[in-house]
Amino acid sequence: MADTPRNATPGFDAAVAGRRAECDGGGPVLGTRYASRQEFAGTITGEYVDHGDPAWRWYLMTDLTLKPDGYPDDTVWCEKNSIFFADEDDT
Amino acid sequence: MSKNPMQTKFCDLMGIEFPIIAFTHCKDVVASVVNAGGFAVLGEAMHTPDEISADIKWIRSRVGDKPFGIDLVLPASAPGADTLEKLLAGIPEEHKKFAQHIKEKYNVPEPKGAQALHQWGGLNQDIARGQIDVILDEKAPAFVSGLGSPEFMLKAAHERGMKVFGLIGKTRQAKRELEAGVDAIIAQGYDAAGHTGPIGTFSIVPEVAAIAGDVPVIAAGGVTHGRHLAAALCLGAAGVWTGTIWLACRESDNDMIIKEKLIEATSDDTVYSRSVSGFPMRVLKCPWTAEWAKPEAPKTLNSPYQMLLSSDYIQAANDHRRADLMFEAAGQGVAFVKSMKPARQIVFDMVEEALAAFEEITGELPE
Repeated sequence: MADTPRNATPGFDAAVAGRRAECDGGGPVLGTRYASRQEFAGTITGEYVDHGDPAWRWYLMTDLTLKPDGYPDDTVWCEKNSIFFADEDDT
Repeated sequence: MSKNPMQTKFCDLMGIEFPIIAFTHCKDVVASVVNAGGFAVLGEAMHTPDEISADIKWIRSRVGDKPFGIDLVLPASAPGADTLEKLLAGIPEEHKKFAQHIKEKYNVPEPKGAQALHQWGGLNQDIARGQIDVILDEKAPAFVSGLGSPEFMLKAAHERGMKVFGLIGKTRQAKRELEAGVDAIIAQGYDAAGHTGPIGTFSIVPEVAAIAGDVPVIAAGGVTHGRHLAAALCLGAAGVWTGTIWLACRESDNDMIIKEKLIEATSDDTVYSRSVSGFPMRVLKCPWTAEWAKPEAPKTLNSPYQMLLSSDYIQAANDHRRADLMFEAAGQGVAFVKSMKPARQIVFDMVEEALAAFEEITGELPE
């Protein structure tokens, strides 16, 4: 399982717990000046962590049905605004 | 022609003369472009908060009150962190042997020092948060999120008089960021340098423009000529985001070997390869990408393993300035990088080329 990030305040949001979602994820590529998208799909557990003020919220996604080839973990932390819930029309 | 097409809503938003945004990692390029009437954004993803603060002060000392931007790569997803030792141990023997084969075949020397990659701790939420906080403290005129959504810091930025832009590769990401209230959207297409989205510039830009309302859309990916600027404005963009064209300009701090390679390159000299980082990434072709494209090569590894594998080659090539080995990320528009012009000249040439293109179509010069 993905480690809980340091320097963050954890919590639980029942409103999103158990909902299927996609995450347009990604981030910086280690050792380069570049970034890359990574797509995930799974279930949002409801667990979150808030970084700093104003709060930067990240939700934990589990039961991954889509993840990049070779992605080593069973879970991923997803930034709140990069999550697209299956029961909402985001197209 | 009744209206000057160069005077777009992005120009109005930022108080600039030309709708050209330079994305660069070089402060001198930022200062030159801004002072020439364009807009420039400094990529700071690999910098510490102290370095970012110093860079903002340096730019302000060169451009005065003129606006500029700072770009960070906000992560949008994050796995748990592994140690470098654990990551290195995860590279399969077959891949290590193939990298060694390339090293021997091309006589790749040993890097001169410890690999910078191995000394860098990566970028997690904690580090990114520190970078964001210093940009807010310094009240940089504009903040650009190069990947993840900037929604969480929009209010704080706007309270400080800052503008916030988001860079997207899909329409749904644009919709989400527009709803959050970003001040401009950069729609990046497949032609771009480095890691790009799967949708072409000609498709993503008008699609995002159709939902953006009054929010300026900036076209990114393959923009290196005034004809690209004219086309982007016709697609509904209010400006262009440019990267490759600045890599070989006079002010750029890129190695002269890389500048010469960029100037010699044609649009066929870039390759979309997973061999550098494990992600598809558009770069200039080089022996490393060529060898990994061969049928006998193992399948490239996932990030960060492939990057750890390629870092030895990259660092050795750069340390020893081996022209036959060196490469750089470059977009498909690299064919229009023809000489080592001053950045301000690139701005003026691009504007003149765009106006000439409009004149060709309309038979009139803009007022």
